[in-house]
Amino acid sequence: MKIFIGAENAITPLGNSVEENFQSLCDGVSGIRLYKNAGFNKEDVYLSKTSFDTEHLFQTLLENCLEGLKSRIDTSIIKSPKTILILSTTKADVQNHLVDAIEISTAKLKEQLELFQPPIVVCNACTSGLQAINLAADFITAGLYEHAIVVGCDVISDFILYGFQSLFAISNEPCKPFSEHRKGLTLGEACAVVVLSKSEAVYQQTPMQYIAGSSSNDANHISGPSRTGEGLYRSVVKTLAAAQMNSNDIDFISAHGTATVYNDEMESIAFDRLAMNNIPLNSFKGYFGHTLGAAGVLETVICMQSLRKNLLIKSMGYTEPGTSKALDLLIENKHTDVNTILKTASGFGGANASLIISKR
Amino acid sequence: MSFITSYCRISKDKCSVNGKNILLINSDSELEWIKQLYKSLQIDYPKFYKMDVLSKLAFIGTELIKKNSDFNFYTDDDVALVFANRHSSGDTDLKFNNSYQQELMPSPALFVYTLPNILIGEIAIRNKWHGENLFTVAREFDATFFQNYCNILLSKNSQACVCGWIDAMEDNLEAFLFFVEVSDTSKLNLPFTSKIVANLYKA
Repeated sequence: MKIFIGAENAITPLGNSVEENFQSLCDGVSGIRLYKNAGFNKEDVYLSKTSFDTEHLFQTLLENCLEGLKSRIDTSIIKSPKTILILSTTKADVQNHLVDAIEISTAKLKEQLELFQPPIVVCNACTSGLQAINLAADFITAGLYEHAIVVGCDVISDFILYGFQSLFAISNEPCKPFSEHRKGLTLGEACAVVVLSKSEAVYQQTPMQYIAGSSSNDANHISGPSRTGEGLYRSVVKTLAAAQMNSNDIDFISAHGTATVYNDEMESIAFDRLAMNNIPLNSFKGYFGHTLGAAGVLETVICMQSLRKNLLIKSMGYTEPGTSKALDLLIENKHTDVNTILKTASGFGGANASLIISKR
Repeated sequence: MSFITSYCRISKDKCSVNGKNILLINSDSELEWIKQLYKSLQIDYPKFYKMDVLSKLAFIGTELIKKNSDFNFYTDDDVALVFANRHSSGDTDLKFNNSYQQELMPSPALFVYTLPNILIGEIAIRNKWHGENLFTVAREFDATFFQNYCNILLSKNSQACVCGWIDAMEDNLEAFLFFVEVSDTSKLNLPFTSKIVANLYKA
């Protein structure tokens, strides 16, 4: 059975639709700005923040992003019993609801969209977005649902910022994934959505094909990446096998690339073990920052635009090689045939995930 | 067809394996309940003491499952870990929030536990399991979700699934773990259906 994927949309500091976002990326614009006194000790902090004037940003982003979805699909599927909505988030609206943030948000979504069944929430650190898409495809393949709306959303809060500051993980300049002088990550906020379906007819624009995906654990450390890239390596091996592909079939890798010293090094080791050193690769974190639970969906959505436009986007912030194993970082935007992309993610808890999408 | 070959429940005052109580809380003990449970396992794993309550519950539950099942059949890619709860990492979230609002010192040791899937990481590290992982948050225990998703995993690369509902919020704690295998290696005679899982959870 073919699993279609399409109707992608995103709201970030770089645009209120996927088209606006992709245009900003083509133009080399980053959403990262300096915010005065934003840190725990009133330090200035670089962030990629949206400009909505609301106390309920998490819900506002979700509502706007899903509203923007409606012109991209046959809207009758939203309320259908054959549709499942899967939300990917790490902390939801933790700023306003310290304890029940996820429950409150899913109840609102169900009511507002008149969903037939309660949303499923994937909360698996920074791999959540890819795992939500993989889960959606698994459900459709198994015949449990015909359509799945996968939405990823996370917003910047004191909770998250102070936490990452306490780990000394925040860069004091805009993040520079895979670069020699990278100093850590930059936090971002975003909402992105994508629809998977067994039916091509539900899409207003030609969809692409979801090929395969998987997850794997490092089994090494809860907050530090594996030195051997074990989980990432194993996940990509499994995904390639399920796709019946090898590394020659991959035209582009959208890596995780948080710009922490150890994460990017780990990824270079994993891709080296996979003999993927010569596949064009980037990290989108230099444009959007690290959007946590939204990242997997957002970055997949942007990859889908690259597939549509045959245009690979340069890795913002990259200056010179900074990992022990060589990678083919995109230093300029590149017009080329793009048929198949590999998207990867890694996160706390030893989590790693990957997926492959192709044009048909 | 697949089978539940062992299961375990931990509540505020007792712990059972395969439906039989194995430990009741000793209210005269100086040790808190969760440490009484850990002592009863008679294993030495110093990392246990650094864990948050969700990871401690998951760790103890998984050790009890291991004592009652044979994992020697499986490679390090074979065992999937599928967990869920209601409050995500809410209990640790409160503590981390307190560390910066009241104590004015954001605690990195707490922050790393403000994601519920950390408990999956702890189990994976303990056992060197590299298999599939998923953590979901839901209002209540959903036996159908576990049945559906585990059957999908078993039809793909995974050979067995350690599943669990592990929830903690302040004084309330609850853990229910079950082990799903393709052949019935136990004498429990429990086919893996959502109805049976729901009944074991309620029991």
